[in-house]
Amino acid sequence: MPTRVAWHRAAVPLIVAVAFIAAWSLGIALTGVSRALLPSPTAVLGAGLELVEGGELARHVRVSALRLLIGFLLSVALALPIAMLFARLRGLRAVLEPPLEFLRQVPPLAMMPLLILWLGIGEAQKVGIITLACFFPVFLGTLGGIAQCDRRLIEVGQVAGLSKGAILCRIVMPSALPSTVVGLRIALGQGWRALVGAELVASSAGLGYMIEDAQNLARTDIVIVGVLVIGTLGLASDWAFRRAIAATWPWVKVDGGDGDA
Amino acid sequence: MPSCRGLGKTFRIDGRNVVALRDVDLDLPRASISVFVGPSGCGKTTLLRLLAGLEQPTSGVILRDGAEPSQAAAERTRVGYVFQEPRLMPWLSVARNVGFNLEGRLPKVEIATRVADILSIMGLTTFASARPDQLSGGMASRVGLARALVSNPDLLLLDEPFAALDAMTRRRLQAELVALWQRLSPTIVFVTHDVEEAALLADTVYRMESGAIVARYPNSIPRPRDATDAGIVALRRAILAGLEEKAEPTSVQPSTLKRGTAS
Ligand SMILES: Nc1ncnc2c1ncn2[C@@H]1O[C@H](COP(=O)(O)OP(=O)(O)OP(=O)(O)O)[C@@H](O)[C@H]1O
Ligand SMILES: [Mg+2]
Repeated sequence: MPTRVAWHRAAVPLIVAVAFIAAWSLGIALTGVSRALLPSPTAVLGAGLELVEGGELARHVRVSALRLLIGFLLSVALALPIAMLFARLRGLRAVLEPPLEFLRQVPPLAMMPLLILWLGIGEAQKVGIITLACFFPVFLGTLGGIAQCDRRLIEVGQVAGLSKGAILCRIVMPSALPSTVVGLRIALGQGWRALVGAELVASSAGLGYMIEDAQNLARTDIVIVGVLVIGTLGLASDWAFRRAIAATWPWVKVDGGDGDA
Repeated sequence: MPSCRGLGKTFRIDGRNVVALRDVDLDLPRASISVFVGPSGCGKTTLLRLLAGLEQPTSGVILRDGAEPSQAAAERTRVGYVFQEPRLMPWLSVARNVGFNLEGRLPKVEIATRVADILSIMGLTTFASARPDQLSGGMASRVGLARALVSNPDLLLLDEPFAALDAMTRRRLQAELVALWQRLSPTIVFVTHDVEEAALLADTVYRMESGAIVARYPNSIPRPRDATDAGIVALRRAILAGLEEKAEPTSVQPSTLKRGTAS
């Protein structure tokens, strides 16, 4: 039976993709819609190959991916220590929580004009947007995990005479990890969306820029290539992330939907 | 070494007072084995938690070495606590769970040898790198036991440590515990529902009932002890008689029964 299940897993998405492309071609043939509105699959493929050969696609992907990576890591580097401080210092939490909650309600892209004013239109502003977008999922995921830590495990540390800091680092944070990981996955997706949004407005490279530029040149085929690449990269990065988690922390269940998560 | 004077603990559950321990006077001589038996809910775990400093008494005191007030001294005494449930860290391997209390206190090499020794005593060597969710119930409880033993505690608190084990393993680990006790002489406080186990291990067996110690059975039968030894059999009988005598009236009063199941 397991082989049949594996076969299904590979085949179903493939069939869906083929059916989608067939419907797309058929739709164009039947309606005769103009190339500028909806280019054919082959036209999109041609545009994609052109971009790959010219090295342009690779350049845009590299720029976008690097921005995402830096912004994501920066948000983790901020969110984890602040969550840990919140867990230890009630006073700090009381002071910082209201402004953070306020900031959380504001979509990162709404902060764009301010960030452009303060940070210019260079890399700092783009990385800033991504950091903003990634911060809250990681932060709230970790705080939630900390709050749910099993008291009985904490008692193990208390009996062993561990300090409060050691209990936090050796018991509370690891036990919060599954919740942190959920936050990290959400953050990756949010960061990716915010990035493309940021690149649409003020930039000279990156996938968002590529789409924006193609729109100005009425190159709908390139726009579609951009959309497909963005979706694919988002899926691929989430997949890679899940694999990395499964390899590093096998006890963290990341593959929901198997009935055991 | 620790002793309790007028020790009491009352919990509030839903606006109602629940007396878990009442007026317990107790001396636990250094390097002795004290075993507590009694029906479920009579306060055995609560007593261990107070001794471990995980709970503060609502009345009375716990003294260390007869004189010092509990708090500061509790930190100087090394306490090993085998909880009623295994309480393993799901993110750590069996070996790292066992060495958990030693990490950062001893050199890595020493931890590794100590952990390997205790794992082989517990029959867990082949599972050293397994994760807790890959263990059976009995194996997990042995890991919890190993974690408490590996740091050579001065005060060893064990809450039904062998309850999840088969008869053979249970007997073997009882012998291992006695051997370890003879070698390192920790003060042991042991909770069990198994009267034979109580008679085999204890210097003194305490019978508890609704939060109070209602009987003490000193036991000076020399070790190694045999379950068929006349003295052990007599002690078992005496403890059992005590437990059953008090169990009878509860089971014939329907009103008490109902309240028991509802709470
Ligand atoms: N944290 C708590 N909050 C409220 N009540 C508690 C708490 N811990 C224990 N109790 C109450 O104290 C009483 C004694 O509980 P305890 O766990 O000490 O029993 P026990 O003798 O260990 O029972 P068992 O043999 O079932 O483990 C029970 O009535 C229980 O409801
Ligand atoms: Mg108990």
